[in-house]
Amino acid sequence: MTSPALELRGVHKSYDEGRIEALRGVDIAITPGEFVAITGPSGSGKSTLLHMLGGLDSPTSGEVLFKNAALGTSVDLDTYRSQDVGFIFQAFHLLPTLCAIDNVQLPMISTNCKRNDRLARAKNLLEEMGLSQRMMHYPNQLSAGERQRVAIARALANDPEILLADEPTGNLDSVNSAHIMEILIGIQKKRGMTLVIVTHELEIAHMANRHIRFRDGRVEA
Amino acid sequence: MSDSALKASPLSLSLFVWKNLWRRRLRTILTLFGIGMAIGAFVGLVGFSNAFESEWMRIYSSSGTDIAVIQQTFLNTSLSEAAGKTLRSLPLVENATPVIFNLMALTPDVNALAYGWKADSYEFDSMQILSGHRFQDGKPEVMLGDLLADQLKKKVGDTLEIQSSPFTVCAIYHAGSGLQADAVIMPLDQLQELSSLQGKVSTFDVRLKPTPVGESREHYLKRAQAEIEAALPGLRAVPAAERASNNQFVQLAHASAWGTSLIALLIGILGIANTMAMSVHERTREIGILRALGWNRKHVLLLIQLEAGVLGLGGGLFGLLFGWCALHILAALPQTASIVSTTLPAYLLAEALAVSVLAGLIAGALPAWHAARLSPVEALRYD
Ligand SMILES: Nc1ncnc2c1ncn2[C@@H]1O[C@H](COP(=O)(O)OP(=O)(O)OP(=O)(O)O)[C@@H](O)[C@H]1O
Ligand SMILES: [Mg+2]
Repeated sequence: MTSPALELRGVHKSYDEGRIEALRGVDIAITPGEFVAITGPSGSGKSTLLHMLGGLDSPTSGEVLFKNAALGTSVDLDTYRSQDVGFIFQAFHLLPTLCAIDNVQLPMISTNCKRNDRLARAKNLLEEMGLSQRMMHYPNQLSAGERQRVAIARALANDPEILLADEPTGNLDSVNSAHIMEILIGIQKKRGMTLVIVTHELEIAHMANRHIRFRDGRVEA
Repeated sequence: MSDSALKASPLSLSLFVWKNLWRRRLRTILTLFGIGMAIGAFVGLVGFSNAFESEWMRIYSSSGTDIAVIQQTFLNTSLSEAAGKTLRSLPLVENATPVIFNLMALTPDVNALAYGWKADSYEFDSMQILSGHRFQDGKPEVMLGDLLADQLKKKVGDTLEIQSSPFTVCAIYHAGSGLQADAVIMPLDQLQELSSLQGKVSTFDVRLKPTPVGESREHYLKRAQAEIEAALPGLRAVPAAERASNNQFVQLAHASAWGTSLIALLIGILGIANTMAMSVHERTREIGILRALGWNRKHVLLLIQLEAGVLGLGGGLFGLLFGWCALHILAALPQTASIVSTTLPAYLLAEALAVSVLAGLIAGALPAWHAARLSPVEALRYD
């Protein structure tokens, strides 16, 4: 068996000095190129789990390993977020003052990507998302589906190995949902990326290689 | 290729900074005005006080005075007039003439510098009498500078009441320096009597014998200083060049210029700090997004500091414009026209810009630190 791309070992996360336990001992290993879907009731800790996987937050106890190296100790979290992982949110989280092509370039500012490569890369990614006619549009000039496609292009800006999506279709109608899923699965196949999606939709969960059910901060047996 | 993307330029940190400031144009411009006023005050006031100092310098250098002998400060009229005899007897001294100067209320709304000179003072040599004749010691006569004569509407032969004593205007003179053009000169004894300071003077202006060949000017001045101070214990001999900057009027002008500018600057800094704190607060979630996209704390810190620094720089440029306008207005006002020069030295402009950028960075420090400290997840959850 190949070594996992991402691994959680005994991960606990509590808030408010232990009064809220969002994660209560999670052990998951995700192999490179795997497509994993996570479902579960609201408040069961899915987003919290994704934040741990994405290096946005650190566990209260336990550890998160990227290619067998512990995040936060062996791997610098900022570097990890900037180079190895891309994040997609339910609310898109585009910066309203930047047009599509600038939003896609944002993650490249923190790496030493050359200035002229930034523009070319952003352009290619937006074209790949079918947005070649929308590059200079601002988020408020784009439809919800288009915004999410800009956000996907942005997540791919630094060519990460891992893509994490927290209810990426939660704000979309069924047509746009299907389109976004098609794109995500296409990217995952074409680039051999590891894809972890948190979702409420069982339909999406069924497309995944593996479906993890979450309840009360634990993986359901 | 889509033609729309051709207009795009690569996104850099500086372009991002610019877009963030442009997004809240009104606030940005108001902040620029705030810091700009402060820098304008700095440029105007410091420029003014520097010009004031060089005017004094001009008085001293044009009259041919090498050294001034004083008690402690220039505004104390506490020197005994009798010391003049000792001074004149010193081997290096060619001439020494007693002087009083004082700021006087001539009419309820005209203040002027009043000089008390002896009728035989060598300082008359460098003065041009436009009409009338030099006063005589012991007579209630005054000479008016041309600017002041215009202002008071007096001509030779008119009577001028000073502190309810009548004085006859005996001459109108022209002086190279605005400070003297705006002044009255009267017999020393008359001014002593007016100010109840019989036998006292403010300074002795000393003209030295020519510098001997082979001796440097500085060395000669030092030697003369030592000779005078040895002969008159308790008194100070100050070379003319130092005298302008030691002058208490000049020091007061410098102090109030710097004091006022510092207060204005402090207000300007608070303005930028407030703007940046608000802008960081409003962008909490955006900062979370940037962190999620791989920006580290240093990038966030740099972003906010750059925004504050650009506000400082922009405010500084505004300020130079304001300061320039202020000086031109002062130069056009009759009360100040004679002293104000509208040329600003380059070092003052550079200093003002540097102060302004520094002010921006100081103001940005706390908001930037706050922004950098935000936890990415907390910031993302913020609404
Ligand atoms: N910063 C925080 N402070 C306090 N409690 C928190 C914090 N973040 C999450 N929680 C709590 O942790 C639990 C798990 O939250 P999480 O957002 O991971 O749930 P979720 O499964 O993503 O839910 P949803 O499907 O509604 O998005 C919840 O009870 C939530 O209130
Ligand atoms: Mg969630």
